[in-house]
Amino acid sequence: MRGLLVDPFDAPFMARALAELALLALMCGPVSVFVFVRRLSFVADALTHTVFPGVVVGYLAGGVEGIFGGALVAGLVTALALSLLTRHGRLSEDAAIAVMLTAMFSVGVILVSRRSSYTADLTSLLFGRVLTVSRAQLVQTGVLAIVVLGLLAVSARLLIFRAFDPVGAAAAGYRIGWLDAWLNVIVALVVVAAVRAVGTVLVVALLLVPAATARLLTDRLLAMAAIGVGVTLGAGYLGLLASWTASVDHGLRLTSASAVVLALVAAYLLALPVGALRACRARRRATTVRGTSAAVPGPGGLVHR
Amino acid sequence: MSWFDDVLHRAMVAAVLVGLLAGLIGVQVVLRRLSFFTMAMSHATFPGVVAASIIGLNIYLGGAVAGLVVAIGVAALSRARGQDAAAATGVILAGGFAIGIGLVATQNGFSRDLSSFLVGSILTVSTGDLLMIAAVLGVVALVLTIGARPLLFVGFDRVGARAAGYRPGLVDLVLLVLIELVIVAVVPVVGTILTLALVVAPAAAGRAWSDRIGVVTALAMVFGAVSGVVGLLASSAYDVAAGASITLAATAILVLSLIGGRWLGPAPRGREGAVRT
Repeated sequence: MRGLLVDPFDAPFMARALAELALLALMCGPVSVFVFVRRLSFVADALTHTVFPGVVVGYLAGGVEGIFGGALVAGLVTALALSLLTRHGRLSEDAAIAVMLTAMFSVGVILVSRRSSYTADLTSLLFGRVLTVSRAQLVQTGVLAIVVLGLLAVSARLLIFRAFDPVGAAAAGYRIGWLDAWLNVIVALVVVAAVRAVGTVLVVALLLVPAATARLLTDRLLAMAAIGVGVTLGAGYLGLLASWTASVDHGLRLTSASAVVLALVAAYLLALPVGALRACRARRRATTVRGTSAAVPGPGGLVHR
Repeated sequence: MSWFDDVLHRAMVAAVLVGLLAGLIGVQVVLRRLSFFTMAMSHATFPGVVAASIIGLNIYLGGAVAGLVVAIGVAALSRARGQDAAAATGVILAGGFAIGIGLVATQNGFSRDLSSFLVGSILTVSTGDLLMIAAVLGVVALVLTIGARPLLFVGFDRVGARAAGYRPGLVDLVLLVLIELVIVAVVPVVGTILTLALVVAPAAAGRAWSDRIGVVTALAMVFGAVSGVVGLLASSAYDVAAGASITLAATAILVLSLIGGRWLGPAPRGREGAVRT
């Protein structure tokens, strides 16, 4: 049993991959809750694509070490540009995001397409290289995790206020535009931390699925964040294990990024019946004790606070 | 060797056809705000295409089946407690994409396939692909012409349309199936990023010039075709990736339209002006 469940992680690269995923889980659980309540799925997806030109420019300018800086700059610039475009433009929000995504990504593709090995570059952007995460990258991710959680901790109250009552938040004197830009920057930081290690596919999944799963199990935001972290940790462990077992014992090529995403989606599917059961019970309770519920209407249904 | 046998000329025909088709459906996508759905569909039909090519079936069939499953999946998941369409679409996008690249990775030479999925390989388009796109263009044009009134009515006044005897659910379903058809026909040829760009940017550019849906549609189709031609010429002149330069051409047209439309276009009425027929 131990040989099956623990020994694969004796290999140093597997242990580092697990540590990287654990750090990402700590970040993504809380951040994904905000992505979920603010319905920023498309923004998160767009940010994973728009860091690409930054990655390319960073690589051309400073080699492997430059990637991080390039991605950081591109992520911050697009986070701010997205919040400007979606507020003041003549375009509707989703069209603005789509155009930003495709245009930035194409700039990246044009820059790499002049190099000969560009299909390999694109592939490593999609998959990342979670199995070749180095100690230095782990430290980078750790620092970013502290920064992201710190930023979130100081602003969580305001962000929740803005998510559930934008009119009230504006009336209370808060600048909605700044709050939105702030949250976009936080999401961009997560993307930058994760994209080189685990690839765009996995980042999108890590930003969207944990909170969607947790929402099925609980109504409370804090519990959602905690469950999100737990689910991501579990999926990271199981995904790496499945990928290792399939490749080493059965000769099947199962890429670790896909395995982790599929484990996450499986968790979501498993949570669906629980959510349906809770919905049934809530409805029954609502018909018996009408008017005593402390639930407030918010995005994504009733959420207790 | 005829004119049609030249690689660049065939690509040109493909780009014009794709531009016309994407512009046509794009107006509906932009007006109904279905960009994220389009993006998710293009990623989620991917496993179907890969699975079909591994088994040896028709890739269009595989993509169509996967797309149908996804459309139903989004509709079903967004009804679950506390979930909304954005979250459900995101989960489907991530899951479908992961299955797709997982399947591709089991094959040899996968990095080439993956990059062509993302940015397309418009220069290697076959005559069969061209016929497929032309056929879909005909079908979509026909359905949009017949269904113009109900689509517009449901899009702008759901309750009123229901009261007038239309069935909004059915109209929505027809629209989603049309979008899926376009994606299934276009993504294997030009890739996901270019598909999204050509669906959204020309339609949004057309919207900047006019409030009339007919005019917007015509402009969107012209802009789509023009971005295809300009992008291809730029790509062969400067030796850069074709799909990416078409995307940037479409973006440039949009930016110019947003600037030009501010002076020459319709006066904005509130944040989202109403559209006349």
